[in-house]
This record gives sequence, C-alpha cells and structure tokens, in this order.
Amino acid sequence: MPGINSVVGYCLLLLFLLSIAACKQKDAIGQQGTLHVAVAANVQFAMQEIEQLFESETGIPVESIISSSGKLTAQIMEGAPFDIFLSADMKYGNTLYDKKMAIHPPLVYAYGALVAWTVKEDKDLKNLSKLLTDAREIDKIAIANPVNAPYGKQAINFFEKLGILDQVASRLVYGESIAQTNQYIHTGATDIGFTAKSVVLSPEMSGKGRWITLDPMLYEPIAQGVVITRHGEEKQSEASLRFIDFLFSDPVRNIFRKYGYEVPDSKPVLPY
Amino acid sequence: MDLFYQTFQLTLSLAFSATFILLILGLPIAYLLSRTQSGWKPLLEALISLPLVLPPTVLGFYLLLALSPNSMLGGFLAEQLGIKLIFSFEGLIAGSVIYSLPFMVQPIQSGFENLPGNLAEASYVLGKSKLTTLFKVLIPNIKPSIITAIVLSFAHTIGEFGVILMIGGNIPGETRVASIAIYDEVEAMNYAIANRYALVLIVFSFLILLLVYTFNKKYFRIKGR
Repeated sequence: MPGINSVVGYCLLLLFLLSIAACKQKDAIGQQGTLHVAVAANVQFAMQEIEQLFESETGIPVESIISSSGKLTAQIMEGAPFDIFLSADMKYGNTLYDKKMAIHPPLVYAYGALVAWTVKEDKDLKNLSKLLTDAREIDKIAIANPVNAPYGKQAINFFEKLGILDQVASRLVYGESIAQTNQYIHTGATDIGFTAKSVVLSPEMSGKGRWITLDPMLYEPIAQGVVITRHGEEKQSEASLRFIDFLFSDPVRNIFRKYGYEVPDSKPVLPY
Repeated sequence: MDLFYQTFQLTLSLAFSATFILLILGLPIAYLLSRTQSGWKPLLEALISLPLVLPPTVLGFYLLLALSPNSMLGGFLAEQLGIKLIFSFEGLIAGSVIYSLPFMVQPIQSGFENLPGNLAEASYVLGKSKLTTLFKVLIPNIKPSIITAIVLSFAHTIGEFGVILMIGGNIPGETRVASIAIYDEVEAMNYAIANRYALVLIVFSFLILLLVYTFNKKYFRIKGR
C-alpha cells in the first residue's frame, strides 16, 4: 500500500526539483552581464584587486576562473564559456589563436619574475649557487613542471646559466603548476623552491619564510599574454574589450608592479 | 618511448606492491571487524571508510603535511629511521595503502560476515584451532570476496591520481605514474601521447576486470551448481 510516507516523500522530491529549477533561472538572469575571465594561477592575487577595481569602475561583474594555463587552454579549446584568458606565457594564447579560439595573438600584459623561496630558517639565500649544490644543506628543490609551466622552464634555464643543472637535477621535484609548487615550498616539504614573485608578495603568503629575487640576467622574465576568446567576442564583445583596455591602464599597471611584475612600456593596439 | 614503458612499469609495480601490502593488512582487519562485538567497531569502520569520502587531493594534501620533514611524523621518520615518504616510490605505496584500504577491507569483511556461523563452530567442535579454522575453513569459503577485494584495490591504485599528484612530485621513474603522465601530457597539449597512455590504461584495466569476472563466474557456477 502506498503509505502517507511515500506521498510526502514524493512531494518533497518535487519541491526539491522545483527549487533547483528556480535557482537555475535566477542564476541565468544574474549572470547575463557577467564577464568570465580565465586566470593563470600565478596572476590570481593581482587579479583579485583588478577585478574589484574593474567592477567598481564599470559596474560589470567579473567572475574569475583560476587554474593552470594548460588546463584553461584545453577547456577553452573545447568551448568553455570564458570571455578572456590571462595566461602565464605567450604559448597558450598563440595556440588558441592558431586554432581560431582566440580572436587575436596574445598581448603582453606583464612580465613575471622568478624568486627562490624557503621556509627553513637556516638557509643562506645570498649565495644561492653554493646553497643549491650542497646536498647536505638542500635536499629537494621544488619547481613547476618545466614542460608545461613557464616558471618551471625558466627555473631550469636559471640552473643552466649558473652551470649547476647536473648537480641539482636528481633533487628536483615538480609541481603540476605554480600553485602546487607553492604548496611544496610553503609546507616545508621541500627545502627550497622556485616560484613567481607575485606569490611571495601576495597578502596570503607575505611574511612566510624568506625569498630572494633572481638576477634577471640569468633567466628570461616571463612574458604573460592575454587574449579575448571567440566566446568573448561573440557574447561579451564590448565588456571584453573594455576589460582589455582597462588591463593596460595606469591603476592596473600599478597593481601588477605591486605584485612584483614588470609591465610593458606602452599600451598595445587593441584587437578591435 | 622509453619513458612510456618506464611509466607503465612504475604504475604496475606500485599497484602490485600496494595490493600485496593491503592484502596482508586488510585480511586480519576485516576478520577482526567481522568477529568483534566491541563498541569501537563503528568507529573503526568509519575511520577505514574515510578515504572513500575525502577528495583524493585533500587526502593527499594532508599526507603531504603529515609526511613533510617539518611535521612531527615526517621528521621522526626522516631523522630516526632515515625514511622519506614524500617524493618517493615508498611514499606512493604508503599513500595508496591508506587510500585503497576500504576497497580491500569492506569486501572481505562482508564475506566473513555472510558466512553461516555454524561453519566456524563445526570446525571448533572438531577440535581445530581458531587459526586453522581461519585459514583452512573460512578463507577458502570467501575466495570470491577476496578476489574482488584484490581486484578493486589493484584497479583503484592504478587509477589513483589526486594523492599521487600531491605527494609524488612527478619524478620520472620514481613517482610519475600513468595517471599523472596523462594529466601532464594534456597540460602540455600533447593530446596524442595522452591518448596513447589512456588507451593502454583502459585496455589493460578492462582485460584484468574481464579476467576476474570470468573467473568469478566459473567459480560460482561450480560452487552453486
């Protein structure tokens, strides 16, 4: 016999489904004007400020999606609804442009700097080359995966320029992105590691351990590019362009500087 | 291509080692859990099942914290015993054992619990010790459960990703297993190589499962008549 319980249960289920549908609809309305910005992990701290400033100046709500550039690129290629992509280097933006998923070649919005960072008290960062080659001082060294992450690639470049790659190679561990590399360093799982300057300058990480900026002659500062995606041009043409324009304005350039980036000298020609 | 084989060799040795340790560890745990009347039983069961609920990356993150040379446990292991469990193959085994423990314990435990109680009683009455009864009577009667447990643990370890990603450090030949390699190649936009890894992984896993289910079916047919 279908008892009173099953009737109540059925009604509850119905109510539940209806409420989901109602939420969905509300979301859809709320998000109509929202600009979706895909952001490489190293830029997330600066992006928090940029986002707020942009929202207060234009009234256009921004939603950022933070991940590694490789993942975001794969997602955009498969039609993810991101309007703008701030990548960690130029490679990913160029790939998207080649595949016609971005409407213009990437524009450099910042140059990232590399730092050596440790939470161990007794490490002498002044003499980095000596410290790194001394296996009794430093066991594991964390870098981002050099194949995917530009900051990892430049860390390798740095070791090569110093001529110590052979001595450190067996002690390297690879974070899948700059974010995981930060975890390895920050938790003390590795004795030292190489990451983006923007990370150690972020409010979340400042004061945790000690770091030193690497000599920019010993690696290539990382040119980071931004693109408007095809989705952005189709769905958010005006807002996307406004965001790009805003990205090269003086207040934003100052935010980037505050987080340890260098900024390009002049404003590029906008894509449209 | 060398890297390709190295990766699969590593993946398989991880899965075999972890499964072996899990069997040694899981069998007595499952047996004791199935026998005990203690009030602690639900607590233990909940603890063992926890890895089912926790997202693997979260589990991995806490393992990273726990095993880091900075922590009490990690520091003790490194300084007193010279064992380093992060960024090493041994560490992956330890992580996998924790992560796959419910997959080993639960099927075996329910196997034991579903055996008729008079089976063991008959053996005791005939003067057999508890240990003899366990190995000669009980375990042979729950073979399908044990095989299921072994296969689930093995397969779960092969497909493991989050924990390894967190505590492995992606070192080729040491901690770079197939699931990590696939992820990496996708990140690097080498979709063709990623597909190759994935294909081998799928075919291999499918064959193993097929083998086991075929075997199990035959076993039941003989037993069940």
